[in-house]
Amino acid sequence: MRALLAMAALRRHGARTLLAVLGVAVAAAMLLCMVMLSAGLRESFRELLLARGFQLRLSPRGTLPFDTEATIPGAAEIARQLRAHPDVVAVSAVLGGQLHVERGTESITAFALGVDPAVQGDYELLSGHDALAPDAMVVNDAFLTAAGARVGDTLEVAAGYNPQLRTYSGEQRLVVSGRARFLYLAGEQSAAALRRTTLQSMTGRARSDEVSLFMVRLKEGADVEAVRRWIQQNIPRVDAISTAEAMQRVDERLSYFRQLGFILGAVSLIVGFLLVTTLVTVSVNERVGEIAVMRAMGISRVHVVQQILLEGLAISLAGAVIGLGLGLVTARYLNSILSAFPGLPAAIDFFLFQPRSAWTALGLLVAVGIAAGVYPSWRAATLPIATALHEEAVA
Amino acid sequence: MLLSVLPFIFALQGQTRTVAIGADLAADARIRVGDTVVVSGRPEVVEEAGGVGGDVAAGPLADTVVVSAIVERRADPSEISRNDYRVRLHLDQLERLIGYGDRVDRFAVGTADSAATERALDAINDAAFGFQAYRSRDIAVETSTTFEVVSRFHRAIGVITIVASAVFLLCILLLKVEERRRDVGALRLIGLSRWTVFRSVVIEAAFVSVLGSLLGVVIGWLTSAAVNSYYQAYYRTPLRFSIVTGDIVAFSVLLSLVLGVVAGALAALRLVRTAPLTLLGR
Repeated sequence: MRALLAMAALRRHGARTLLAVLGVAVAAAMLLCMVMLSAGLRESFRELLLARGFQLRLSPRGTLPFDTEATIPGAAEIARQLRAHPDVVAVSAVLGGQLHVERGTESITAFALGVDPAVQGDYELLSGHDALAPDAMVVNDAFLTAAGARVGDTLEVAAGYNPQLRTYSGEQRLVVSGRARFLYLAGEQSAAALRRTTLQSMTGRARSDEVSLFMVRLKEGADVEAVRRWIQQNIPRVDAISTAEAMQRVDERLSYFRQLGFILGAVSLIVGFLLVTTLVTVSVNERVGEIAVMRAMGISRVHVVQQILLEGLAISLAGAVIGLGLGLVTARYLNSILSAFPGLPAAIDFFLFQPRSAWTALGLLVAVGIAAGVYPSWRAATLPIATALHEEAVA
Repeated sequence: MLLSVLPFIFALQGQTRTVAIGADLAADARIRVGDTVVVSGRPEVVEEAGGVGGDVAAGPLADTVVVSAIVERRADPSEISRNDYRVRLHLDQLERLIGYGDRVDRFAVGTADSAATERALDAINDAAFGFQAYRSRDIAVETSTTFEVVSRFHRAIGVITIVASAVFLLCILLLKVEERRRDVGALRLIGLSRWTVFRSVVIEAAFVSVLGSLLGVVIGWLTSAAVNSYYQAYYRTPLRFSIVTGDIVAFSVLLSLVLGVVAGALAALRLVRTAPLTLLGR
């Protein structure tokens, strides 16, 4: 009965109700986007870091992974130390560098990763074979397009460019053995992976056995923080960064988006609240006589309050349902804008849909819908019946 | 490039060189102009110097220098997310401390005009010295990609906000005019024409819109000041994150005026088409 009366009141001014629902829908869409933005980037980054199960990353002291050209010498000895720890399951040593491929008069530059293919955590092989042989490399689509090459081709590749002399420290013929997707690199960036020893010898880093990064996979259930502290104490040349710490640093750098999400989400909620409150209050003001008659007939205060709360809730729910669909489309569009950030890994999403985001947005809107009905329903419930009926009769 | 600095007060001996440090480093490390510090390209050298309680390292790996200036960070968007400290040293000193030899990362070359820039560019790129010269403009375009992306994102958010505001404004103004049903009915009954009633309702809606938008400008200006104050302190930069320009104010007022007039006209049309007695509830 209450729901029926509430619906009848909303239907009486159809255009007005439709406009209010539309307003709440836009606010709901914005709210969903902002909830997705505030949690999405963090979650997306966490998923990316843990994609291959490596919980710790070791970079040269005072640097972040691949933030500078600094390297860690004595890779074999450090890897041996790490493997000796009972909680360590796998160690992947990675050397970063650049490869140059001459194509006609142009030189194509690609980011190169020197890895041990058996334990690498930097790429996923899409087709062909892994770079198991010393003269093999796997490359991404951007590399194949830029170099005009195919899997199976042999390319003249150089590394260790000296800008003073315009010479390379190493040149070698490498076979493109496979096609891969590099997890931590931007999609448009040309990239190749080859055996670490091959890249070390091409860049002149073989003697000192230098690498840029270690990735460490731990046993399931191992205390990551305890292992991190152990590494920090026993291998002073490196900084050990756990996934949680890396996420914290990303949070610090990109806190702007989280804060923007919070502010705009709050504004959306306020706008939705004001819209529903205004609409329901005006609706109550127009029905003062009707409500007074209901009360005079013996309808309880609780009944009137519930009916008016239901009106606000119905507008909020209808707006929320439309807004959630609208929000998903908007979030996709906004994500496509932000994914153009230079150097951003293709797997990172600023707006990540999770059921929790939708439920959070819906829950907030329901709460706002109920809150928006509190003032008008209080006003209706405390209406002096006799005075209201008298004024209505005079009017 | 990592350069460690340790504040270290001690008596000056002999010729000491000077450095300029960033205001954020000065504040965090409580360094003032005239203080003496040890600088090195290797953190452990500075740590050892501090650890022995006054036995300051000097030589090829560390130098004792006097802070001669504290400089504010430039209002450069590309430096926002970089929270590293800045120290400005003489070139030869930095080359020695970090073992860089007689090498630099880049040269900045001033030219007389754009034609001279082209000539210099060709001359440098033709020379076999391993240099690659770029126009400052091209580098600016390359490095500003990040901010163009953020800018596009802000524009998209702005459009969504405008749509939401427009719907909100339309709804509120329709409700406002609808509230005048009885007044309009009474006015019609005492002989006012439909056109007069229509104009009065539209003018009232326009007035409310302009008044509301002016109040919105004040709130926007205050919010903008708060945003700037917060983010300038958070990122330690003099960069202005939010600006309220004359164009923005004019756009906001005009938009709300147009929406107000449209909403007022729509509602007024409905009112003047309805019989006066119906408006009065008879």
